[in-house]
Amino acid sequence: MNENDIVISVKNLVVAFGDFHAVDGVSFDVRRGEIFGFLGANGAGKTTTIRTICGILNPSEGSVTVDGKDVSSSTAVLKPRIGYMSQKFTLYPDLSVRENMYFAGSLYGMSPKQIDERARKLMDFIGLPQRIPDPVSHLSGGVKQMVALASSLLHDPELVFLDEPTAGTSPQTRVAFWALIRRLAEMGKTVFVTTHYMDEAEYCGRIALMERGKIVALGTPQKLKEQFFPVKPLEIAFHAPVQNALREALKQAGIESAVFGNHLRVRVSDRAAFERACAPFAGQFSVKEVEPTLEDVFLQAVSGREAK
Amino acid sequence: MNFSWRRARSVALKEYKHILRDPFTLAVTLILPLVFVGMFGFVIDLDYKHMRVYVRDNDQTSVSRRFLQEMASSGYFDLTPVHSPAEADQALEKNGSPALLIIKRGFGRNVRSGNPETPGQIQLLADGTDNVQASIMGTYLQGVIQKANAVFARDNPELSGGAERAPNGGDQIRSRFLFNPELNSRWFIVPALSTIIIGFLAIVLTALTVAKEWENGSMELLLSTPVRPAEIVLGKLVPYFLLTFFDVLVVFVLAVYVFRIPFLGSFLFYMAACWVYITGALALGLVISVVTRQQQAAIQFAFAVGLLPSFIFSGFIFPIENMPAFFQYFTALFPQRWFLLISRTVFLSDAAPMTLATAFGAIGLFAAAMILLAVHKFKTDVEP
Amino acid sequence: MPAVRAQVHQVSKKMGRAQALWQVEDVFGAGQVHGIIGPNGAGKTTLIRVLAGLLHPDEGTVSYDEGGTVLSAADVKRVTGYFPQEPSLYPDLTCREHLEFFRDLYDLPQADFERRAEELLHATGMAPFTDRPAGKLSGGMYKKLGLMCVLLNRPKLLLLDEPTIGVDPVSRQELWDLVYGFAGEQMTVIVSTSYMDEAGRCSQVHVLSSGQMLAAGTPEDVMKHFGVTDFAEIFLNHERK
Repeated sequence: MNENDIVISVKNLVVAFGDFHAVDGVSFDVRRGEIFGFLGANGAGKTTTIRTICGILNPSEGSVTVDGKDVSSSTAVLKPRIGYMSQKFTLYPDLSVRENMYFAGSLYGMSPKQIDERARKLMDFIGLPQRIPDPVSHLSGGVKQMVALASSLLHDPELVFLDEPTAGTSPQTRVAFWALIRRLAEMGKTVFVTTHYMDEAEYCGRIALMERGKIVALGTPQKLKEQFFPVKPLEIAFHAPVQNALREALKQAGIESAVFGNHLRVRVSDRAAFERACAPFAGQFSVKEVEPTLEDVFLQAVSGREAK
Repeated sequence: MNFSWRRARSVALKEYKHILRDPFTLAVTLILPLVFVGMFGFVIDLDYKHMRVYVRDNDQTSVSRRFLQEMASSGYFDLTPVHSPAEADQALEKNGSPALLIIKRGFGRNVRSGNPETPGQIQLLADGTDNVQASIMGTYLQGVIQKANAVFARDNPELSGGAERAPNGGDQIRSRFLFNPELNSRWFIVPALSTIIIGFLAIVLTALTVAKEWENGSMELLLSTPVRPAEIVLGKLVPYFLLTFFDVLVVFVLAVYVFRIPFLGSFLFYMAACWVYITGALALGLVISVVTRQQQAAIQFAFAVGLLPSFIFSGFIFPIENMPAFFQYFTALFPQRWFLLISRTVFLSDAAPMTLATAFGAIGLFAAAMILLAVHKFKTDVEP
Repeated sequence: MPAVRAQVHQVSKKMGRAQALWQVEDVFGAGQVHGIIGPNGAGKTTLIRVLAGLLHPDEGTVSYDEGGTVLSAADVKRVTGYFPQEPSLYPDLTCREHLEFFRDLYDLPQADFERRAEELLHATGMAPFTDRPAGKLSGGMYKKLGLMCVLLNRPKLLLLDEPTIGVDPVSRQELWDLVYGFAGEQMTVIVSTSYMDEAGRCSQVHVLSSGQMLAAGTPEDVMKHFGVTDFAEIFLNHERK
């Protein structure tokens, strides 16, 4: 990794609220032009990490640097370079798109002319008409998110932080949104995105899986799958009603299984142990190997961590 | 599915825990009565004292001086003499809320003459922009005149047949105030404070509870269980009833033991009236909550139907007898009016409870109506 | 006693100006795990609330039967358990207090309650947290507590509105295990989800989009019906039209 390419460097970051460690010893680097995915459930510490990098929260321990500058001591310099689309507040619902843009732009000291120019480009970029007269509250969830993204890009930041941008939107919006994210990265922007949809993580260059304030896995989606699944997960279909008995037998052998409708999905590390456990049910089911999903990776990473 | 005491009890128990674990609301509930009593009992003193009056004594006799001495010693007036009409004008223009008392020439002579045709004349010029103070000044001055007459008659028995005859010959007003002989405003106000506190606090407390459950989503879960509206209503009434009743007891103890206000009526009757009135107010809060389903709207409603009528339509500030006929009937709709009547009466008189039967019936009817309305309006689905 | 079967007949329902459900015709067979899948705004919550009796259809009917015996509205309420999508527990009450509150609401005998609570606490792994207030639980534990409260009554029809939204994969796995642990002959489960990857976990999938029921059947049949290999594709294709 070229040292010059590193934009964000987080080292042993701890953010504590009282006794509660929302972020508990996290380290990672983000490279220029990368789509860095931050995954985890609500409350895993994703938003807190983002806020610390943006300089809205101060680290309790550890350090966060952007381009080698410590974030907490140089917020004024860094803020104009950062675009942040927050999970909760995005736009004023009673203002029109244009009014929202003017307000957002004015916060960064842009002139009305500059704002107009940028807004035109950005509306093109997100594929929406130039003039939407309605107040934002009349727009659909998907359009709203797109406009929110555009308004966080007004001042042409190099670093874009998107906190759960696709939460609660339709599959189509999610696909469209991720296409925009990819184009941003192609334009050389560094995109830092959080989501709790595991399937979205496939679109990221690298991902960090976060759980209870800690990163449990870090790497490209492909690398992580290979790392956690040297043996591919198995899917079992049944010819006879032995589902519960087989699950019990696998459990006895220490093998995790999950019911997927009429199938069982099994995460195995030792194929031989699996064969032994199923031997009594021979002929009553069939097994096939399936590709691991990032959800499987997460489960595996967390269970490995808990075993330790 | 019939009414289940067990479910009602479990709602009450849950509500009780909410109250205990919400220190802010609990503190407000316990401190508010003290604030009200402190504010109305100590700070806001409706008894006017030391009202400034400029005096131009054109008579300058021993009688007029004697009269002024009597006026000053009453404690209600601070007298400042002025010596010329110009000075008097100046004083009137310069000072805020001033009053000028002019004793006319010949006052002493006329009083001494004892002739009803030629009474001693004094003139009071008061600032009508503060009509309350102006009229109180007039009333107090009447009192001073009466007292002065009596003193004059005592000191000069040769001029009159005794105190019975007005030496100044003017019409004599004789009032005797029953039950509150000194017209102590504290006696009048403190017993009424329970009306305000319950009429406001109880309504706000319950107005928030159901709306809160709608807002935090728990109502949806609750409605999917077999629990019935009547059980929720009862369960929510009981804990807040106890809380509000505690406040009433605090006000009662302060009134009787700190302000030394006599309690002459039936204690049991008063308590029964409190219970009924509290129940009605709490149930009204529930109706508001059940209908609005939003805390913000509920609190605004609660202010409108709780605080305003408590002060304005209860007779607390404006005597009901002085209202236009329409409003006199209109106030009858508010239980605050009836409970205020009960409170003042049982504190200051030993009237038999039967004389308050109408008032008691009114608050009882109100409470019953509100409970029924709360149960009836309680939604058992999540339709908007 | 068999589980409950729910039959939705030509149900339409408007919410505000939006037509949340339009002529929905569907059967939720007894003893199975049904997944209602669809994007946000498809009408999932409305359908679940209609099934829970918390919304009344503008048109059409919903009927419930238990082994062929039609249930009255009061019976339905008694045997149905519903846990909404939005947070609906009391943040200041502890897990134990929640369980005790629901014990009373369901009028359960103490002995039954203790046995079931023990069993549920064990199955959910929540036993160490009984004294923790609901407001201080993680997303996954919160949902588990809600599920426990509802399961106390041993419902024969369990309705869960997006139980796994925003929940970490581990807790999600545990929630599904719980559902399968209790489903079966005694209980029909209807779960809504907007995670397309969860559709495969159900024994029956019901595809809802813009208030209309597009298809229902086993996950394999439904995918075959749309000619796709992934549930998300169904909605991408459908919305494009």
